[in-house]
Parts: sequence; C-alpha cells; structure tokens
Amino acid sequence: MSIAVVGVNHRTAPLEVRERFAHAPREVPASLARVLSAGARGGVLLSTCNRTEFYLADPEGTAPQAVWALLNERLGDGRDASAYGYFQHDEEAVRHLYRVSAGLDSMILGESQIQGQVREAWETSREQAGPVLHRLFQSALLVGARVRSETALGTGAASAPSAAVAVAGKIFSSLAGRSALILGAGDMAELAANCLVSEGVRVTLVANRTYERAKAIAEELGARALTLDEAWEQFASADIVLSSTAAPHAVVTWERIAPAIARRGGRPLCILDLAVPRDVEPAVGQLENVFLYDIDDLQAVAAQVAAERRTEIPAAERIVNAEVERFWAWYGGLAVVPVLKEFRGRLEDVRAAELERALKRLGHLSPEDRAQLELFSHALLNKFLHHPTVALKEAAQAGRGYGLLEALKKLFGLESRHDA
Amino acid sequence: MVLVPHLLALGLYGLATALALAPFAGLRPASRGLTLGTPLTGAAAHVVGVAQLTPVGVAPVLSILALFLVLLQVVSERVFRASAVAVFTGPLATGLVALALLIGLGPGVEPAPGRNAWFVLHVALSVFGLALLALAFVSAALYLLQFRELKTKRFGQMFQLFPPLERLDRLNHIALVAGFPALTLGVLLAVGYAERYAGGWHVDPAQVVWGTFTWAVVGWAVWARVVRHWAGRRAAVASIAGFAAVLLVYLVLKLAEPGTERFL
Repeated sequence: MSIAVVGVNHRTAPLEVRERFAHAPREVPASLARVLSAGARGGVLLSTCNRTEFYLADPEGTAPQAVWALLNERLGDGRDASAYGYFQHDEEAVRHLYRVSAGLDSMILGESQIQGQVREAWETSREQAGPVLHRLFQSALLVGARVRSETALGTGAASAPSAAVAVAGKIFSSLAGRSALILGAGDMAELAANCLVSEGVRVTLVANRTYERAKAIAEELGARALTLDEAWEQFASADIVLSSTAAPHAVVTWERIAPAIARRGGRPLCILDLAVPRDVEPAVGQLENVFLYDIDDLQAVAAQVAAERRTEIPAAERIVNAEVERFWAWYGGLAVVPVLKEFRGRLEDVRAAELERALKRLGHLSPEDRAQLELFSHALLNKFLHHPTVALKEAAQAGRGYGLLEALKKLFGLESRHDA
Repeated sequence: MVLVPHLLALGLYGLATALALAPFAGLRPASRGLTLGTPLTGAAAHVVGVAQLTPVGVAPVLSILALFLVLLQVVSERVFRASAVAVFTGPLATGLVALALLIGLGPGVEPAPGRNAWFVLHVALSVFGLALLALAFVSAALYLLQFRELKTKRFGQMFQLFPPLERLDRLNHIALVAGFPALTLGVLLAVGYAERYAGGWHVDPAQVVWGTFTWAVVGWAVWARVVRHWAGRRAAVASIAGFAAVLLVYLVLKLAEPGTERFL
C-alpha cells in the first residue's frame, strides 16, 4: 500500500456524523500531524460539508488506524467511525480523488464548487502533503478541469437554488446590480439569496412577519428591514422577490401586489417562491411581465439538468480512467528509481566484498591482472543487472511496475520505504 | 465571377445555419469560433460577389439584404451574446441568397443609375435599414418564444439556448433606433438622386408608396419605444406587426406589377 484515502462522505454518513468530522482550516495541520506521526509520509485533508477525507502517502499502511482513532474521538459517543466510512488504496484511491475533483462523487452531480475545495485542501495541507500527494492533487485539479471542458457534466443548474439563479438569468441580461426583496427567513431562501448575491444581486429589503427577525437578517445582508405589510409596495421597484415565509397559506396575493405591479412600467419581475406551502398565490403569475416560480418548478429545472448530466458520466469516467493510468505510470516510475539504486548498491557491495576476498587468495597476480579481474567483476555485474533494470523500467513506464517492484524488494530483502 | 462568391457564401451560410440549429436537435453546440467564423467567412465571400453587382433589380437587393443580415447576426452574437438570432437570420439569409441565385444576378434594366454613388448609397442605406427592421423582427420573435417558455415553465431547449428577455428587448430597441436613421437617409438620398441626377427619370409610384410606408412604420415603432416607452411583449408584438405589414405591402405592390428587373 502506498497511496490511500480514508474518510466519509454524504453517501456513507448522515449529516449529524459529517458535522462532527468537518475540520475548519485551522484544525487541519494538527490532525494531519497526528496522522503523519503514525507512519504516513504525506497527507492532505479534504473537509467539506459533504465529505471528510484523509489522502495519505502511506507505505507502511499504518495511518488509516490513526485516522479512525481521530474520527472516533470527534464522534465522541463510543460509536465506531469506520462504520460510516471507507478506505481505498493505490489506484482506487487515485481514482477516488479524480472522481471527487470531477464532481462525479458529488451530491449534485458535476457541481463545480468541489474543484475549488480540492484546491483549498491541497493549499491548506501544502506543508504536509509530500511530493507524491502534491503531484496527485495537481493532476486531480487538471482532471476536474478536463472533465468540465470536454464533457457537459458541469453545465446547467442542477440544484433548486442554482436553478433559481438560472431562471432569473433568463429574464434579466445580467443579475449584477439587480435589487432583491426577501420575504421570510427560511433556510432555502437564505441559500438561494446567497446564490443570487454571488451573482452580484443586491438584497435591498428583507421583510418578515416579525420585524426583529427581519432586522437581524437585513443587517447580515446589508439590507433594510420591513414588516410584511410594508413589503407589498416594494413590488413596484424590486427586480427579484424571494419568498420563504413559514405562513400556512399564501401571503402574496393578486390584490396585495397588483397595484404595485401596475406602476412598474412593464419591467419584468421575477418571483421565486421557495416556501412549502406556497407563499404566492398562482394567480400572481398571470400578471403581465411577472414570472412566478415555486419550488416544484425550480426542482423540475434542476432535475432536468441532472438527467442531462447523467448522460455525460461515461465520457467523464473515460477521462478519469485514462488519467489514473497516466498517474500510476508516473508513480510506478517514481518508485522504481530508488529501489533500483539500492538494488544496484546491494549487489555492488557483494561484488566488492567477493573481489577483495578473491584478490587476497590470488596474491601472486600482477597489478595489471588484478585490474583486469576488477574490470571483469564490474562487467559481470552490469550484465546481470541489465535485463532486470530494463524490464523494471519498461514495466514502470507501462504502469505495471508496482508488482515487480514489490517482488524485487522481497527477493533481495531491500528496504521498503521508498514510496513517498 | 459574381456566381462563385455567391455560391461559396450560400454554402457557408447553410453550414452556419446547421450549426445554429444543431443544439435544438440535441447535438452539442459548436464552438464560438466556429459559429462566428463560418458566417463571417461566408460574408467575406459575399462581399466580393456583391461588390460586382449593379444594385438594381430584385436579385441584387435580396443578396445585399442577406449580406447585411449575416453581418448583423455576427454583431448580435458578438456584442449581445445572442447566438440564437442565427436560428432565424441563418435560414433567412441562406434562403435570400438562394432566391437571388435562382432569379439570376445579371445586371438590371437600369445600368446607368446603378453606378451612381448616390444611388448605391441610397440602396445600401435603405437595405441596411430593412435588415435592421428584420433584426428587430427576429429579436421580437425570439422574445415572444422565450417569454412563452418562461411563463408556461417549459424550460425546454428554447429556455436553455435563447438569450434572456431583457437582452432581446434591448436588441430590438437598438435595431429599431438604428434602422430609422438608416432608412431616413436612404429615402432622402432617393429624393436627392431623383432631383439632381435623374432629371426625366421616372420614379415609380409603387416605390414611393412602399418607401414612405416602410419609413413611417419604422418611425412609428421608434416613437412607440422611445417616446411612449413601450418595452417587452408589447414592443415585440409591434415589431412583428410592423415587419409583417412592410412585407405584405411589398408583396401586394410587387404582385400588381410582376417582374424581377426592378426592385419594385
């Protein structure tokens, strides 16, 4: 074993467990140091809301136990962390990281945020990564970029909040500088608001049933707080309305907002109703130049995109497989050099010792004859070494060097700590 | 040497049209370089062909109109990122060049005025104004299709591939506002040419009727947008109605006096 990944993700562990394993960037060096002290030569910790993964250059195969011990402590209730996780090594570990970077292992297939998270993980762990993992993460980012540029895996909006942005982006030329009014304070509205803000939308007003709650959120977003009753007038000026109140019935009605809509002068208004039950009565969508979308509409957009993305999986997997082969060939070649050096050194020692012993027994030889004998011993050693050296290098270049290397180490009792 | 560049332009416009329509057939969209380069190469060949034409008669005018349409398509794509414009302008330009080739691109019956700079400028500006009116029509049609997709929440290919409503509205606005001075200058040049050079040159009443009507339609559309602040769906419907009226009046006048030697 040389390269390994140990961790949990959204498929293997519930949110309650993932939350406990999540590492803030400042916690990463200490956790990695602890794992490295168990024998790993390098480590990178990738911690997002959907996964906590330790990537290890671990020739001894001892570090995974240290990872589970660390995660057990974080779990802190006697449960076994390894029951929620997975462990992969060698080519499968490389493939795993490449799939993660490409978005193939993401909750939302093809999402691009993970690419930045992989880069951040690499940068945060830079001091502790070691040369093999440096190369691995560098190539993983390239694989992610290749998959996104050569396939349509990352196109479209595959989540409801990003679908909200996509829909608004089909109404307005640019979302930058648009004003948004937020009704209510639901989590989904906050998530969608953040998506809109990341596109340059200005949240100017936050309205809620209770003014204090509206004020708290408004302060966070740099907006002005209103009560719901004050909000209806604002439909005349806002470009986007994001609604997610906890009301049990529709609060945005035709009667309440039609007078304000009439004063818009034909400017389009995008209303994103993320509440369940709905905040906006469907009749509002019939107002001229009002575009109303509820959570089902947005999820339909996201589902459609996700279905389209799924057709791109085979093409993305082909890229990943080709890049795994390429990395493994490089890695095989990297491991061959020090082993061959030691192998040659070991045989050279034998040659020198046996030559010395022979020369002691052959004291009558002239200096010329002694020199000739030494030349002979060098030539013989080189002849013996030539074929295995060439075969090993060729196998390494073809990505098959790892097995031969292990056999060589075992047969000649070589040191095994060359991997990282 | 008029035929070869036109045939080349026809082929490249056809290819550009296929590239524009391919995503609607579920194929992967072509690269931006290809979708811009193909019609531009066609337009370059087309310019060579048009430069050798006498701008008199139906066929040369159709050819020049196609050239302007393709150039406006490229500008729309480059400046407004409205590549879907090619869905309409591509087939339109290809059809116009094909029709011009079918009619025949030989010199018209009025070779003398055809080489006069005033006349050439009159034709160029008038046809450019018409091309802008056609672009306003195309952007309005795209607007209404996208509007319907958004209102009915279909989220199909049109939703994915058509530009945002606001951008289409802006393109429509600019096409009309730019088209009006071009047409005005075209009409003024025609009047100036008739008075200064034509002398006894006979001006067909049909030309006067259609030219004035087209100018008035575009003028009305610009007035509605700029003075009355029409926008969105109402402006789009007005653009389509205006373009349809101009086309209808032309066809009626042309049917009244058939023949391809004269534009009208």
